[in-house]
Amino acid sequence: MKLTVNGVEHEIDVDPRTLLVHAIREQVGLTGTHVGCLTGDCGACTVVVDGQTTKSCSVLALSAEGSAVETIESLADGDDLHPVQQAFWDEFGFQCGFCLPGMLLTAKELVESTPDPTDDDILRAIDGNLCRCTGYNTIVAAVRKAARS
Amino acid sequence: MAALPARVGIGSSPRKRDGAALLTGRALFLDDHRPEGLLHAVVVRSEVAHGRIRAIDTAAAAAAPGVALVLTGAEAAKHAGPVPYFIDPAARGGNRTDIRCLQVDKVVHVGQPVAAVVAASRHEAQAAADLVRITYDVLPHVLDARAAMAQDAPRLYEDWPGNVVAHNRYGSGDPDAALAAADVVVEGELRIARTTTAPIEPRGYLASWQGDRLTVHASCQNPHQLRWMLSVSLGVDESRIRIVTAKVGGSFGLKMQGHPEETLVALLSLLADAPVKWVEDRRETLMAGAREQVHRFRVGATSDGRITGLVNEIVADIGALTAQAGWAMPNMSATTQPSGYAVQDVRVELDIVCTNKPPCNAARGFGKDAAHFVMERAVDLVARELGMDPAEVRRRNFVREFPYRTATGLNIDSGDFDGLLDKTLDAVDYAGIRRGQAESRERGRYLGVGLGFELTPESSDSPGTFVSGFDTTTVRMSVTGMVTVLTGVTSPGGGNDTGIAQIVATELGVPIEWVELVQGDTDRCPNGFGNFSGRSMVVGGGSATLAARDVRAKLLAVAARLFETSEVDIRDGIASGGGRELPVPEVARALLTRAFAIGDIEPVLESTRAYKPGNINHVPDELGRIQPYPTYSSSLHAAVVEVDAETGKVTLADYVMTHDCGTMINPALVEGQARGAVTMGLGSALSEQLVFAADGSLASNRFKSYLLPRAGDIPLLRMIHQVTPSPFAMHGNKGAGEAGVGGAQAAVANAVEDALAPFGVTVRGVPLSPPNVLALIDEARP
Repeated sequence: MKLTVNGVEHEIDVDPRTLLVHAIREQVGLTGTHVGCLTGDCGACTVVVDGQTTKSCSVLALSAEGSAVETIESLADGDDLHPVQQAFWDEFGFQCGFCLPGMLLTAKELVESTPDPTDDDILRAIDGNLCRCTGYNTIVAAVRKAARS
Repeated sequence: MAALPARVGIGSSPRKRDGAALLTGRALFLDDHRPEGLLHAVVVRSEVAHGRIRAIDTAAAAAAPGVALVLTGAEAAKHAGPVPYFIDPAARGGNRTDIRCLQVDKVVHVGQPVAAVVAASRHEAQAAADLVRITYDVLPHVLDARAAMAQDAPRLYEDWPGNVVAHNRYGSGDPDAALAAADVVVEGELRIARTTTAPIEPRGYLASWQGDRLTVHASCQNPHQLRWMLSVSLGVDESRIRIVTAKVGGSFGLKMQGHPEETLVALLSLLADAPVKWVEDRRETLMAGAREQVHRFRVGATSDGRITGLVNEIVADIGALTAQAGWAMPNMSATTQPSGYAVQDVRVELDIVCTNKPPCNAARGFGKDAAHFVMERAVDLVARELGMDPAEVRRRNFVREFPYRTATGLNIDSGDFDGLLDKTLDAVDYAGIRRGQAESRERGRYLGVGLGFELTPESSDSPGTFVSGFDTTTVRMSVTGMVTVLTGVTSPGGGNDTGIAQIVATELGVPIEWVELVQGDTDRCPNGFGNFSGRSMVVGGGSATLAARDVRAKLLAVAARLFETSEVDIRDGIASGGGRELPVPEVARALLTRAFAIGDIEPVLESTRAYKPGNINHVPDELGRIQPYPTYSSSLHAAVVEVDAETGKVTLADYVMTHDCGTMINPALVEGQARGAVTMGLGSALSEQLVFAADGSLASNRFKSYLLPRAGDIPLLRMIHQVTPSPFAMHGNKGAGEAGVGGAQAAVANAVEDALAPFGVTVRGVPLSPPNVLALIDEARP
C-alpha cells in the first residue's frame, strides 16, 4: 500500500490486519508515535489523519491509504519548536515524555480549532490522553499558554 | 529552540534538559530500538492460578511461520539459574523460593511465565504462542490473604510452613496498658484495594550478544543491579554485560529489576543467536500489583485528644513471591507508623502473605502510603469520638523536637508539622468550608473536607541489599571546557538529570549548557543504584557536588598559577584574579595541554566521588530497631469533595498540599513529582482497583476497566512549599517523589466521611468508587 506520512509517500508491504500505529512505527520507521495500550484508551499513539486526531492503534493501516497522516515528527520546523511544543516545555507539561506526542497533537488540534479555549474545553480535549506523571495541571497550563501564543 | 534561562542555581527552575528530544519524538524509548536482524519474543503465561505443569506441547508453535525458537522452563533451567533477589526474604528471617525466568514444574498464579516464543515479527510470535499447549494438574488456589493464612489453605510453596513470607512485630512501650488507661479507644478495619503503577510505557527489554558479551537495553530504573542480577542468573561475568536504560517512559517502582523476563530475554537472545526484544502488552503490565492490605487497629486517646497508644495488625497480600523489591513494601507500612505523631506505646504486627495472584512489585510510596492512610483515618476517628476538630487532634500530637526517634525506631531528622497544618488550613480556607458546609447540607449537597498528614522517609539504605543509601558520580571537564557528568542515579522521567546538571553548573561556576549528563549505562557510569526512595537528588546530587568541587578546586589552582595570585574565582564560565580574566575552557586547556609548563599540578580534570548522607544507623538498638533513612519529607494535604449521594460519585472540588522536602534544587520539578504522586493517590482513593475473577484471572486488564485518573478528574492541585532543611543531607534537601500517595488517599477518605457525616458513614477502605460509596450510605441508613 501507499501511506503518506508527513508529506512523504511510502510504499509499504502490510498485512491486512496491520494497525496504523505499527505501520508508522515499524514500516515507515517513525517511532515518535508510541504504543501504550492498543485498546484506544491511553492516546499515546495519537496521530492526525486528514486533519483529525486519530488513535492509530484503533485503525487499520489500509484504511489510511490515500489519506494524509501527520505524526509528532512533523510538528517542529527544523530546530524551531511549534508553539504548542514550546508551551509544554515552558510549563513543564511532561515528565517522562511517553504520552507527550499524543498529548501535543491533541492540544494542537484544540488550539487550531478553538482560538480561546476555556479550561473545560481543554479538559475535554485531552481527556482521551492518559498521563501518569504530571497530574495534568501543567498540561492544562501548557495548552492554555499555547492557545494564547 | 529557546535558550534556557540564565539563572540556573540551586532553587531555580530551568526546564528539563532532554525536553527537545522528547517534544519532537526523537527520544528513543526501549521499543524504538530496532537493530538489524531483530527477533521478537512473546511470553506464554499460565492460564491457571495454581497447578502442576504436566506437559507442554511446543510442536505446532515451533513449526509456525517465522518462529526461531520456543523455550520451555525445563530447557531454560539448563542455561539459567534462579533470579537473585533484590531483597532476599531469608536475610529478613522470612521464607524464600527460587524465582525462575520460566516455571519448570508448577505455576502459582495466572500469568506466570511458562514458555516463550521467538519469531521474526511480534505477530508471528503471538500467533505461535497461541499454539503452545500446556496441560496442568490444577490445584486448589487461594486469592484472599486472610484465607491463605488458614492451616488448611492451599500452599503456594510446599516447603514452607504456610503461606506467610514473614511475620514481624514493630514498636516500643506498653500499648496494651496505654489502651487500657485511655479515656477513649477507637478501633477500625481498613482495606486498601490492590492497585498498580501503570506507567504509560510498558516494561520491555532488548538483548543482544556480541560473541560472549551481552548488551541489554532495558526499560529499567536500576541498571547496575540488573547487570549484577543477570550476571548471577546467567553465570556471565559482570564485565561482559552492559545495561543501557537511557529513556524510560515512567516507572514508579515497577521497573526496578527482579522480573523473570529480564533473564528470559537475555537467554532467548543467546539461544536464538540474534537480538531479541520483548515488550509487554497492557494486560501484562496491569498484572503487577502495587499494594493490597487490611489493617485492624485500635487507638487510645485522652479526653483532650492526645493519642496514647496504637495497636495495629496488618495483613499484606503480596500475591506470589517475586525477586523484585515489591514483596518487602509492607514492612514500611508497619515501620512508618505512627508517622510524625509523638506516640511511644505502639505495637504493629505484620503478616506478609502470599496468594495465587501475580506479585506486587515496587510502587511509589513503597508501603509508606498505607501507614499514612491508616494513621490519618485513626486520627479522624479519635476526633469524631471526642467531638473535636480533626485539625486540632493532629496539632495535639505532632512531634516537635528533632531528631525524634519514633516507636518503630525511625529517626526523624527535622520538620515543622504545625507550619504545614497552618499553611494548609489557611490556603484551603478550612474555617470557611466548615461554615459553608451546614448551609450546603440544607440544600442537599454533601460537601466535605479532609486532612491527610504524611511523613515520608526517603533515600533508604537497607543493609546487605541493593537498596543503597549512597551513590557515585563522576564529573569530567574536557580540554574544551565542556563538562560530562556520569552518575549512578537514573531518571525514569522525574527530571533529576536537570537537577544534577544545575548543581554541577553552580558548583563549577559554568553555564548549564556546558554540562552533559550521562545516566543509565553501566559501561559509562560509575557504580550506582539507580532510582528509588526519593534518593536521586540527595545522593546523586550530593556525590555530583563533591566531584564538581574537586574539579573546581583544580581549576582554581591552575587559575592561581596563571594569574600569579591566590585570590581567584570562577563564575559564569570565567576565571578571574589579580585583575585578569580567562574563560574556563582556556584554564582547562592550559592544564591539559601545558601540563609540564604549569608545574606540579596533577593534570586531571576529573573526579569520582560517592556521597553518604548522615542519620543512617544499622546497629540495632536494645529493641532491635535500625534506622535506614537519612531524611524525612513531610506534607499536609487537604481535599475538598462533593459527594453525590444518589450516584455515589465523589468530585474533587479543591486540593491543597503543603510540602516540605527541605531545600528544593528545582522547585518546578519538585512540584511535578508531588502532583504526580498526589494524582496516583487520588486514583487509588477513588477509581483504581485490580479485580480478579474467582479463577484468579485479572478482570480489570485494560484501561477501560482499570480506571486511571483522567484530566477532567483532577482539580488544580495547589502547592505550597515549606522549607525545613535536613541537617543530614548536603544541600539540606530531602527526597521528593513519593510524598503524596498516602496523603491523598487519607485526605480524600476523610473528606468523603466528612461529607457523608449526616448519614453517619464510616469509611473502611479505598477506592471510594461510586458503588462502594453507595454501599456505605446504604449500610448506614437505618
